Amino acid sequence: MTRRPWLRGLRARLLVAFVLVTVLGAVAAVWSSAGSAGGALVTSYQRQVTRTIGDQIGAIAPQLTYPPDQGALDRLRATVGANALVVYGDLRSADGVDTGLITDELRLAVRTGDRLVTQRTVVDGEPWLLVGTPVMITASDGTRTPSGIEVYAVRDLTGVEREIDGLTRSAITTAAWALPLSGLAALLAAGSVLRPVRELRDTAGRLAAGDLDARSPPQGADELAELTVTVNEMAESVQTSMAEMERMRADARRFAADVSHELRTPLSTLTAVVEVLADTTDGMEPDARESARMAITETHRLVRLVEDLMEVSRFDAGTARLRVEEADAVGAVRDSLRARGWWDRVELVAPEEVPARLDRRRLDVVVANLVGNALRHGEPPVRVHVSALPEQVRIAVTDSGPGLPEHVVPHVFDRFYKADAARTRTPGSGLGLAIALENARLHGGDLTAENTDHGARFVLRLPRDPEEPGDPEER
Amino acid sequence: MRRVWCAAVALLVAGCGIQPTGVTDGGEAPTGVAPGVTLYFVGADGELRPRQRDTGGLGSISEALSLLLSGPGGSGLRTGIAPISVQRVGVTIEPGVIELVTPLTIDDVTPLGIDQIVCTALDTHVRSGGSRDMRVRVRFTQPTPETDELRTCPLIR
Repeated sequence: MTRRPWLRGLRARLLVAFVLVTVLGAVAAVWSSAGSAGGALVTSYQRQVTRTIGDQIGAIAPQLTYPPDQGALDRLRATVGANALVVYGDLRSADGVDTGLITDELRLAVRTGDRLVTQRTVVDGEPWLLVGTPVMITASDGTRTPSGIEVYAVRDLTGVEREIDGLTRSAITTAAWALPLSGLAALLAAGSVLRPVRELRDTAGRLAAGDLDARSPPQGADELAELTVTVNEMAESVQTSMAEMERMRADARRFAADVSHELRTPLSTLTAVVEVLADTTDGMEPDARESARMAITETHRLVRLVEDLMEVSRFDAGTARLRVEEADAVGAVRDSLRARGWWDRVELVAPEEVPARLDRRRLDVVVANLVGNALRHGEPPVRVHVSALPEQVRIAVTDSGPGLPEHVVPHVFDRFYKADAARTRTPGSGLGLAIALENARLHGGDLTAENTDHGARFVLRLPRDPEEPGDPEER
Repeated sequence: MRRVWCAAVALLVAGCGIQPTGVTDGGEAPTGVAPGVTLYFVGADGELRPRQRDTGGLGSISEALSLLLSGPGGSGLRTGIAPISVQRVGVTIEPGVIELVTPLTIDDVTPLGIDQIVCTALDTHVRSGGSRDMRVRVRFTQPTPETDELRTCPLIR
């Protein structure tokens, strides 16, 4: 059975359950009370009728001649009242039309038995009480033998039935009064259950929305109050662990920032030393020259790593600021390519001009990183496609290499993520794409990676007119 | 669900009206018809003897006693009750006791004559449907100690 939608609400279900229970209870009560009262009424009426008839016959019997003649039978019948039949052998005395109702079953019981018998029958919807009895002869020693006189009487039970109907009707009316009351009680009960539930739901909603201070005051001492207390405790512990986690994250960031900051000064010295070393490699032995070159390369790498770390730290600390200016996106990309000497190796597909408001330095960082990656890891031709959408500037960098492995795509913007664990000695810091993504987000834009049929494609989308530079902490 | 409601309503309706029944017992059948009344006289050996008098019906205790007081007739039986002109006997039936008010004095009856009165009254009472455990109190025109005695018939136990 499919549940109807309006039955899903707790209130409706409580209401229906209450009313159902009330109706069943009322029906049972009405049925049993009306049934037993009706039964008692019929039984008592029946007993009264049979006793009256028995007494009437017993009172007149000694006055009758025996064996009876027609006159005696008529007297006896008149004593029993209307709708009576008296039979003795071939003689009979009948009165009233209803004696035809007397069943053969009853006649047989009277003829063969020595007891007064009754039977209820319903003819054409009207109930009748049939009474039949033999009249006995008692000997001096108390033994009884049938005299052969049979008396039948028919009594109308319509009046009794009307009384029973009245009883039933009044019972049903009384029970019907219980219905609105039970509905009211159901609504009150539903309200008292639903109010705390609604409050709990609101609190849970606020918790889910990030308001960790949200609590609902427990009311009463029932299960719902216990649930409220439990939810409050849960919120408390979530809040505590969130605060703890936030503190740890802040510590970690501060540590990274401090470390990179502390490394900068010794690195400057080291860089100066290495540059001096670079000028003197020509006069070295080949082995020493090789080592010196390696030291120079690694030092440059270290410098870049520390710079990238500091950049990341600024993003994390929320101190990175966007400096937007009116600029031509195509021109900015072109300058970026020219500055790095990639103009000949990269195919630029772009309209004449795409005016936008953007931070040129950060755009340069992103473009340099994407194109550098494409040249380094992909195959030529590398294509940069700049297009203008109504609200956005779209810059797609596509290479023709093997593309990104499927399992790498979701992690390509993770910090220090290495696609190939064996290839550790790449010139990059491992932070380039993470910084590029942060820069895109700082603009209010986005950076995505995907595979085309021929290689990898990175798509940068920047709004042409960014809102107030977003705080990266609030993203 | 609808079936449950139908069943409930059907049950309710069935519980309301008067239902036909089979033949059921309604108690003792009435009694009291008889071809005649039984009077008690005294036999040749001085014993109580019931004698059927065909009167056509049982009649009342009072009628039976009147017949008794009028004597045995030509039946060859004796009676312990002196002939008397007034033969009306008052009969009062109380719970457990039949009280008879006779137009006799204690000198008009022998002890056997009192038994005749008691047995005739009890016999008629039993045959008209009464209990056999009834006691009989016989009152005379003058109060005597025998008046308060509650008697039973030696032949009807």
